[in-house]
Amino acid sequence: MSKRIWIFMGLLVVASLLFVACGGGAPAEEAAEEPAAEVEEAVEEVEEAAEEGEPVTLRVLIHQNPPMVEFMEAFNDEFEAAYPNVTVDMSIVEAGDLATVSQTRLTANDVDVIDIFGFANGAQPYMTDVDAPNWQQFIEAGLLMDLTGQPFVDNYDEATITDAGSYDGKVYSINLGRVSYSGMFVNEDLLAANNVAVPTTWDELVAACETLTAAGANCMTAGGGDSWPIFVGAYGLLGALYPDQEALVEGLWTGDIKWNDEQTLELWEKYQYYAQEMLEPGVTGLSHDATPARFAAGDVGFMPTGVWQAPALEEAEPGFEWSYIPFPGSDNPEDNQYLFGKYDQGWAIAANTPSEEAALNYLAMFSEPDNYEAFANAVGFIPTQPTATLATQLGEEVAPYLESFRVGYEQFWIAPKGAGQWANGGEGASWFQPFNEWDDAAALAEQAQADLQAGLDSLSE
Amino acid sequence: MNQYLFGRGRARWLPFLLLIPGLLAYIIIALGPSIATSVFSLTDATGVPNIPVNWIGLENYNEFLFRGLASRDNLDALTRTLIFMIAVTTIQFTLGLVVALLLNQGLKGTRFFRTLFFMPVILGVAIQGLIWSLFLYPQGGPMANFLGLFGVQSEFLGGQPNEAFFWVIFVQIWANMGITMVIFLAGLQTVPAELYEVAQIDGANGWQRFRNVTWPLITPVVNTNLLLNIIGSLQAWQLFLVLTGYKAGTQVLGYLVFAEGFGQTTGSVSSSFRQGYAAAASMVLFALVLLIGLTAQYLLNRREQRLGY
Repeated sequence: MSKRIWIFMGLLVVASLLFVACGGGAPAEEAAEEPAAEVEEAVEEVEEAAEEGEPVTLRVLIHQNPPMVEFMEAFNDEFEAAYPNVTVDMSIVEAGDLATVSQTRLTANDVDVIDIFGFANGAQPYMTDVDAPNWQQFIEAGLLMDLTGQPFVDNYDEATITDAGSYDGKVYSINLGRVSYSGMFVNEDLLAANNVAVPTTWDELVAACETLTAAGANCMTAGGGDSWPIFVGAYGLLGALYPDQEALVEGLWTGDIKWNDEQTLELWEKYQYYAQEMLEPGVTGLSHDATPARFAAGDVGFMPTGVWQAPALEEAEPGFEWSYIPFPGSDNPEDNQYLFGKYDQGWAIAANTPSEEAALNYLAMFSEPDNYEAFANAVGFIPTQPTATLATQLGEEVAPYLESFRVGYEQFWIAPKGAGQWANGGEGASWFQPFNEWDDAAALAEQAQADLQAGLDSLSE
Repeated sequence: MNQYLFGRGRARWLPFLLLIPGLLAYIIIALGPSIATSVFSLTDATGVPNIPVNWIGLENYNEFLFRGLASRDNLDALTRTLIFMIAVTTIQFTLGLVVALLLNQGLKGTRFFRTLFFMPVILGVAIQGLIWSLFLYPQGGPMANFLGLFGVQSEFLGGQPNEAFFWVIFVQIWANMGITMVIFLAGLQTVPAELYEVAQIDGANGWQRFRNVTWPLITPVVNTNLLLNIIGSLQAWQLFLVLTGYKAGTQVLGYLVFAEGFGQTTGSVSSSFRQGYAAAASMVLFALVLLIGLTAQYLLNRREQRLGY
């Protein structure tokens, strides 16, 4: 009996050790060489397969944006028709999760083409002890393919390629469009019905809201359920008071501008008025995706948000009469002439993709002028190909502001390490009740500056 | 008489040999990653491969606990974690016990209600979050309408931090009370019916039967439930992610670890990955769980010994 137990136990231990051994344990050098060898092998296999017309699956990752998803599904069908051996396997994630999912899937060699936002938030000379943004981490880790010299890159304007897709002299992403987020959609019918003119100054906006609410309508709506649309909706206020937003960030870092100085105090007061008096009750639960349908219902005067909401708005109510104007945050109409924004979605290819040819073909076909223009019109991006135009109402609305288009504050801002959670005043509008705990603009301004200063002070410690 | 179950001599080592597969699995799946996390916490690792990892000593801990006002936010998250643990453990434990006692009476419909109370446990966190996001919709959602009947208004999850925090506690209890109830039910069913009969004959009322018969005899499941509730609530973070997102004033330590590690803290889509720093935060959380868990286990063990278990 005892002998049998010993034999059984011996077998169990051997099986366990085999199991453990199969799970890993290769010497460090071998382990380091293995992934590269495996990738090379896989690349060769897929290239051979492509030459032979064998099936290739192209794994594409994009972020959630309903008009974009719809366009990409149609484009994928066209791409598969043009390249019958390729099947596109497209995954969609929330915008906020895109970087995390990109990191895990790039690391696991589980994706070929990724959607990546325009390169922003790079460390500036006046900043110290800041971490590299995630896109820079990807590049430095060798996870993104160098696209320099690819013919389709030339289809995009040079400034876009340089500002939003290049690092260290090489091109890693083609950026597909700029978006403005500092304006607001206007319900033309509601304003006309209440004899309200489209506001061009802060005072006019306040008066318009008072008229609308007195008439039983609502002034503004925004996707408070997702939190960020509240402060993004107020970027126009920040832009009206600080038209040079790169200088604002530099000033905050160097101490030339403070969140609690006189000019900025006006900003906090307007933030508070916007959060508490202008936004309709109950938006704390409204999701960003549901906002266009809410606005199209007709009893809301304004929807401060990015231009990317235009296609969803048109789809929600095709006959709805709207316009898009810069948020009139200043009492001086001259200050309210700018649209601020960012470079939005771009394409990048995984450096280790086993489907390099298919991935390059995908970007090349997408970048063909006709395809690109259709994309820009579908999603409402301000085009980054010089030959493309927005033949939509949105295109007409933003055309007057394109020459003065400016990159926004959030694309430059990096908080110093050690700064408190209230240091990023760009998000200040979402800190007032009912969205958060603050109810006193002056007190919040003091706290924001104290939180920022704590980080700046800790840099020198 | 042989004192050793597996025999004398070399056979005495058999129990230890039996432990090897389990120990190996534990080392590979649990202990190894935990040790790796403690090592990572002393580096500036990003989690992105091929980026050099530098040894920075205790700098991550220094930043987390003492640097600027970020440390204030981190300590607030720690306090919030403790509040969350106390609230969830107390309410979930009590509710689970009460429901289990009711369902143990053998009344009609017991099976239906047992299934009903347990059902949330089998739903994923994303589904639980979606259900309650819709249920707690401020503009005409079911809960808003219900509260409206009493003249109460709430912004629910999108409102002020304390309000949002309360609703996450509520959903956490709803989601996990079923498992507490099932463990209590299992314990209640081990209590011999004769003891209740004897107590009844002796004239004990309901409360006395619970206090002197039920409560002492379910000590093992009481202890198990308490420990599970304490540790589970200290580590909870997924519901915060789904229900409130990274909202100033609602973070708990577990969520902070995730947000720092995967660049979710600032609302910017370009945030960097700080997995070394996140590892340091998770070590602080580990220390908290260890301290509270061990203290609770020590006290509960003493109670078990006192009751003769």
